[in-house]
Amino acid sequence: MTDATLTVTVAKDLEDLIPVFMTNRAKEVETLRGAVAAGDFEQLKQLGHRMKGVGRSYGFIAVSDIGKRIEDAAAKADRSAIASAIGEYADYLSKVKVVYE
Amino acid sequence: MSDASAARDAPAARAEFRVLVVDDDADMVAFLAMLLQKEGLRVEIASDGENALDKVHASPPDLVLLDVMMPGTSGFEVCRRLKGDEGTALIPVVLVTALEDTQSRVRGIEAGADDFLSKPVKREELVARVKTLRRLHETRKELESRRLAAEVQRKEAIRKAFSRYISPRLAERIADAGEQGDPFQGRAQRTSLVALFADLRGFTRMTEKTEVGSVVGMLNEYFAVLTDAAYQNDGTIFNMAGDSLLVGFNVPFPQQDAAERAWRTALDMVERFAPVANGWQKRHGLALGIGIGICAGDAIIGNVGSEHYANYTIIGNPVNTAARLMQLAAAGEVLVCGPVYERIRHLLNGHEVEGRGDVTLRGRTEPIPVFAVRAAARAAA
Repeated sequence: MTDATLTVTVAKDLEDLIPVFMTNRAKEVETLRGAVAAGDFEQLKQLGHRMKGVGRSYGFIAVSDIGKRIEDAAAKADRSAIASAIGEYADYLSKVKVVYE
Repeated sequence: MSDASAARDAPAARAEFRVLVVDDDADMVAFLAMLLQKEGLRVEIASDGENALDKVHASPPDLVLLDVMMPGTSGFEVCRRLKGDEGTALIPVVLVTALEDTQSRVRGIEAGADDFLSKPVKREELVARVKTLRRLHETRKELESRRLAAEVQRKEAIRKAFSRYISPRLAERIADAGEQGDPFQGRAQRTSLVALFADLRGFTRMTEKTEVGSVVGMLNEYFAVLTDAAYQNDGTIFNMAGDSLLVGFNVPFPQQDAAERAWRTALDMVERFAPVANGWQKRHGLALGIGIGICAGDAIIGNVGSEHYANYTIIGNPVNTAARLMQLAAAGEVLVCGPVYERIRHLLNGHEVEGRGDVTLRGRTEPIPVFAVRAAARAAA
């Protein structure tokens, strides 16, 4: 993932919502990991679907993209692809920078 | 803007537009709510399908933004239930979905969704769709209020037209029944009914002994008593001539207890007229009472007359027989034919009943059983 993709430009009027949004994403990583450990592919599919919907709405394209990968992999019960996507997600969240305009 | 157009637009501009956002994802709810509030809309939130249905029924919003994939009751199901309920079917529903396949769109359309919004949500698209639906909603409300105003006007016209014949309660029923329920139109038809005729015993003497001005006032007093009694029992007044009044039951609306209603009307007439008669006795020295005849059977009901003048009336044997019975009845007496007697006999305890046997009435070839009831018993009680 390049530096360009790690900087997200968010509309100014969403600024107040971003702290909670980021906190929820961090919680989401833990929930995803728990679901993988439990082999709960239905929950993984739902979580991926939700990430796909909410990420890009806020301007976080990578969240939607990773969410789609998790949803698709969960539909195939592809545990390793899901684990890889979750790792990438956690890494992204630790590095992403938000700018407002 | 002119004063008139400003006044016309003002209510729509002031009207609060309420949007119910339904989504189990708190971040998506916060996002949608923020954008909608920026547009000046009032936002309410439900976090699942059942909660959404409860909120809609408790206080119907003007628009529902509904997520499809939620735990428990899905957005499709919520939409289907809202659209299947007469009370909520007109509330616009926008399905907000990340489902891209055609089958999901078809499911949404089948559930009755008014529009779709794709996730991820593009704010310009959200605002444009909500604005369009708001305009449609306000137009629909305006049309609905015009339709209601026209409906009120139509009902008022029906009430005015029919109040000559029937009680306010029956006029209300006709008005509420709509055009289909207008019984005063269409062709004459044969129907089973109960006819009640009432008139004054001693009316001729009254007209001879009382000055004209007083007679009119007395007649008005007398007819007020009779029409009140008829309306009290949901009878329909078909004719008022001289001192006689014709009231029908089971017409134009079915009344299972038509004979009982006719009997109660007769009792009410006699009872209510008693104090009026006492007053006349004191003021004018006249002893008058009401004679009543009641008969049941098949008759014709409809508009009879010419293009220029017509009466909505009832014609046939039971009407003629009721008229003959009325002529035979003494003051305070109710004469009924056999079929009516059979249907009201359970109400006659305490009243003075006399079987007159089979009587051949004037103009009839076959004798009919006649019973006389002294309604004065109840008046005295």
